[in-house]
Amino acid sequence: MQVTSISFAVEPWTQQTVVVRVGKALDFRNAADFKAACQEQVRAGVRNFVLDFSETGILDSTGLGSIFSLYRQVSPIEGQVVFAAVSRPVQVVVQLTRTYKVFRQFPSLESAREALR
Amino acid sequence: MVATRQTFNNLGRVMDDVHELFGQWAEEGAFSPLFDEDKVLLMRLAVHEWLANLVQHADFGEQTPEIILDVQPNGKRVRCVIEDNSRGFDLDLHIERRRQALDAFPDRGMGLLMLQAATEYLDYRRGENGHHRLEFSVAADQDPWLTIPF
Repeated sequence: MQVTSISFAVEPWTQQTVVVRVGKALDFRNAADFKAACQEQVRAGVRNFVLDFSETGILDSTGLGSIFSLYRQVSPIEGQVVFAAVSRPVQVVVQLTRTYKVFRQFPSLESAREALR
Repeated sequence: MVATRQTFNNLGRVMDDVHELFGQWAEEGAFSPLFDEDKVLLMRLAVHEWLANLVQHADFGEQTPEIILDVQPNGKRVRCVIEDNSRGFDLDLHIERRRQALDAFPDRGMGLLMLQAATEYLDYRRGENGHHRLEFSVAADQDPWLTIPF
């Protein structure tokens, strides 16, 4: 089953793990929608988030802030936020902010699935 | 690519319009091979962060917003000027305040810091025509980073 928020598709993998398809952009225009979609999942018991950046052309400071917010929510409950299929524009932000130190990256969704089993 | 100058008046569309422009430039291979794709993306990020700041916070009063983007490639370096007719603000003061107020894993307040980190040179002042003018450059041999508390 695919649950669609205003602008983010969320695909459950297990009871505790979901993939969030970030889509074309995560920036100041839709970061609140992303936060709301993730909070809904956290309330439902999800604690591991795989962010699929395969189609993402824009990640800005507000978008990154919304990912930090998610991380702050799930890390106390031993949850994880990981990045998969990171596009070049997203990688530029990851390198600039050194956030690879915080968020594990996987080359594909399949490899993320293997690691989170 | 030769220097280009574009004017935008619609705050609701400027982000999409500018990203579309960068998309066109990428398709055309508009920048020097010395200025690689990652550096173009870094420059685009700097432009995005500044425009996002204008769209969200700038005070244009009763005037129709006017934002003029000037991009001037020069080999390993690209100079970028963004003029606008807003009332402006004290950029240095805001950057310093943001830096001091940055919490661990911050939700907000990283935009101007990211802009500063991404650029080699950054200057903001009121021009003779009354417009506020941000000028920055991005260089091919930069290895920039922003320190965020983790």
